[in-house]
Amino acid sequence: MADDVLVVENVSKRFPMNIVALEQASLTVRRGEIHCLLGANGAGKSTLLKMVAGALKPSGGRISLEGRALDLHSPADAARAGISMIYQELDLVPQLTVEQNLFLGHAPGKAGVIDRRVRSERAREALQRIGARFSPRARVEQLSVANQQLTAIARSLTMNAKIIIMDEPSAALNETELEAVFEVIRDLVRQGVSILYVSHRLAELREIGDRVTVLRGGRTIATYDVADTPDTALVEAVIGKARTLVERKACPPVAGEVALSVSQMRGADGLMVENFAVRWGEVTGLTGLNGSGRTTFLRSLFGDLRFEGAVEVGGRPYRPTHPAHAIRRGLGLVPESRKTHGLVLDAPIYKNATLASLGGRFAMRHRRERERVRPVLDRLSTRYADLEQAVIQLSGGNQQKVVLAKWVVNGAKILLLDEPSRGLDVGAKADLYALVEKLAADGAAVIVASSELDELYAACDSIWVFHEGRILDRYDPSVIDREAILKATILGDQHVH
Amino acid sequence: MSTDNAIAERAPAHRRLANLLIEYNFIAIFVVVVVIAAALSDNFLTFVNIANLFQQAAVVGVVAIGMTFVILTGNIDLSVGSLTALCGMVVAVLMAAGWDPALAVVATALVGLLCGAAMGATSAYGQVPSFIVTLAGLVSFRGITYLLTDGVPVSGLPPSFAAISSSVIPILPGLGLTSMALIFICLCIAGGLVLRFTVFGEYVYATGGNPEAARLSGLPTRLMITAVFAISGVTAAIAGILLTSRLRIGQPTAAQGLELDAIAAVVLGGTSLFGGRGSLLGTFFAVMLLQVLRNVFNLLGLGSFYQMTVTGFIIVAAVLLNRFIEMRRGRG
Repeated sequence: MADDVLVVENVSKRFPMNIVALEQASLTVRRGEIHCLLGANGAGKSTLLKMVAGALKPSGGRISLEGRALDLHSPADAARAGISMIYQELDLVPQLTVEQNLFLGHAPGKAGVIDRRVRSERAREALQRIGARFSPRARVEQLSVANQQLTAIARSLTMNAKIIIMDEPSAALNETELEAVFEVIRDLVRQGVSILYVSHRLAELREIGDRVTVLRGGRTIATYDVADTPDTALVEAVIGKARTLVERKACPPVAGEVALSVSQMRGADGLMVENFAVRWGEVTGLTGLNGSGRTTFLRSLFGDLRFEGAVEVGGRPYRPTHPAHAIRRGLGLVPESRKTHGLVLDAPIYKNATLASLGGRFAMRHRRERERVRPVLDRLSTRYADLEQAVIQLSGGNQQKVVLAKWVVNGAKILLLDEPSRGLDVGAKADLYALVEKLAADGAAVIVASSELDELYAACDSIWVFHEGRILDRYDPSVIDREAILKATILGDQHVH
Repeated sequence: MSTDNAIAERAPAHRRLANLLIEYNFIAIFVVVVVIAAALSDNFLTFVNIANLFQQAAVVGVVAIGMTFVILTGNIDLSVGSLTALCGMVVAVLMAAGWDPALAVVATALVGLLCGAAMGATSAYGQVPSFIVTLAGLVSFRGITYLLTDGVPVSGLPPSFAAISSSVIPILPGLGLTSMALIFICLCIAGGLVLRFTVFGEYVYATGGNPEAARLSGLPTRLMITAVFAISGVTAAIAGILLTSRLRIGQPTAAQGLELDAIAAVVLGGTSLFGGRGSLLGTFFAVMLLQVLRNVFNLLGLGSFYQMTVTGFIIVAAVLLNRFIEMRRGRG
């Protein structure tokens, strides 16, 4: 068809040692279409994208652009052909200006001398096309994540991209920022650019997708029209068997004693929290836009950031100045980024899981440590081959369980989870929240911070909404509906209920 | 999952053997070089020559032990050459002033410890890269070394002091190692045990592997960095004492470039400069490998120019090999 921009036919990819990452994957992206790619972690999305973007060579099959078969040897080849890839961790140079980034590698000029005037002009044009309101002279590191995202899109435009591939752009954005990015995407599509959009979130696909192709276990399952396909059908295609979406189930009110209470806390970045409390056995959620203070609050509680005020743990005053103090009082933090803050990636599983509970001892008895870890990992139903295995070899969900195990092994009774489900697929998320419930049922107090209200709504006994560093209110999800909470996170004080 | 785990607990024997061979490839390389050396020269595998090898490797070897701790935390210590010279002079000056050798040795070790700890603390608490702090140490410690005696060597040390390095202790019938060689070997074993079987060792690896994760797990990471530099300071002091004991004079120009030999050995032994990965076993074999190479060249009658050239190539080749192995494992 003349309207097909990108056609992927029966592409497969095998890695050495007979690992098949992708088998017989096919999809077609039409001109001016937002085509979504949906699949669980490990379904082969990244592999497929990398082959389309020229970063990997297919073992078999055909990729063609506007009817011409492509033989890509590098990402530069793909860019020249008109395929542009925007990675999740944006590949911009933060120290350079927007303008420099836009034309990195293809700056206008002669004999290696950059024509700065032409570059400025073209940069302005590209930014205008996406309706950006920041200066081309701004340094990328000073921009918000959303504006960095827009810069990356503008960069694709300067390369005359016919199709732009976006790998989970929403992961680092809050809802208003995301809406701005969507607006730009819709506008580009009207200008004839095609978008291949990868995401875990169904709600997002609903909002901008025209069609969606589902990948599972390295195969493309089918392509659906987004508008005509119910959520359950998509989830079924992703997971492979019918599984219910997380729904709020009736649960009795928590009756435990107060585990941790904040009568007043004044902290970094304008954090100002009053009258916060969580009980033993309770799962409580913290929500709010990015930068609303959720993470700052958790890090302050964990002794990682200084604060003033009155906090009590188990009825006794609590004033941590270092994570070690917090750990001694029975707190445990699962940080926002498990790879950079939660795990020693190259170290074996059992060493990661015991790292927080070795203090005060002299000898390291490896066998005893392994025996200590094994039942905990089993209880968290972690999948691994060998406790000596480096934790980097585990899937995201299982890595997260190792971080959680670190605190369970140490006997932490107050768990602080910061965006625990980030980067996990639908199944792994459900798993994680089931675990959280189990830990709470065993008597732990759990505080979960997340930007995904749906998850909190389904899993928490209470939800606190943060807005610009302050807690607005405590909501009980069993009596108040999701929309009301969502409104509060966005509107803040203006919202009166 | 528990049944799966029980079955998959241990990989098949041949796979594990292959993994071990890859993990400890430096031992295989060492054996190959020794076989070549033995084939090239009949004098190589004699007790006298082997004893010599250990004796000559001792100074750089002892320094490389401390360096391994430092590099495992993802730091680097450029000051060890100068600190070795400084401590070698301090011990000589103290004894020349009439101190008892035993007391002088203890005091010198303390000087090394304090110098190392001071640099480590500056780097950890002041958040200055250790490269910079120890580069300053490299320059200043050498300066202090010269200032001690205006650059004049100190001689006339008591004979009992020479015994520290050169007493011959019989190990096997016909093979006697000098005390200096034994001190090196014992320190290696002690260091290896600390890294493998103590919580301190565990913390060293964790601090190097991911400082943020270590800190958020409640580890005293800044104290750890101070501690490894203190260890490096002590090993440099021991190396200085051994050097002065063997030379029988305190020589302020001694141990120039020793830090680079030590770093080369640590890296050749498979320890990652980014921290978190490596072992003292690797360092030990790398030190001995470099010494064997030197020895082979001497036995073949090739001068030090050849030695230096080839040593550089071997370090690059070894590091590339390790890199290749890691890429195969999918860590690249």
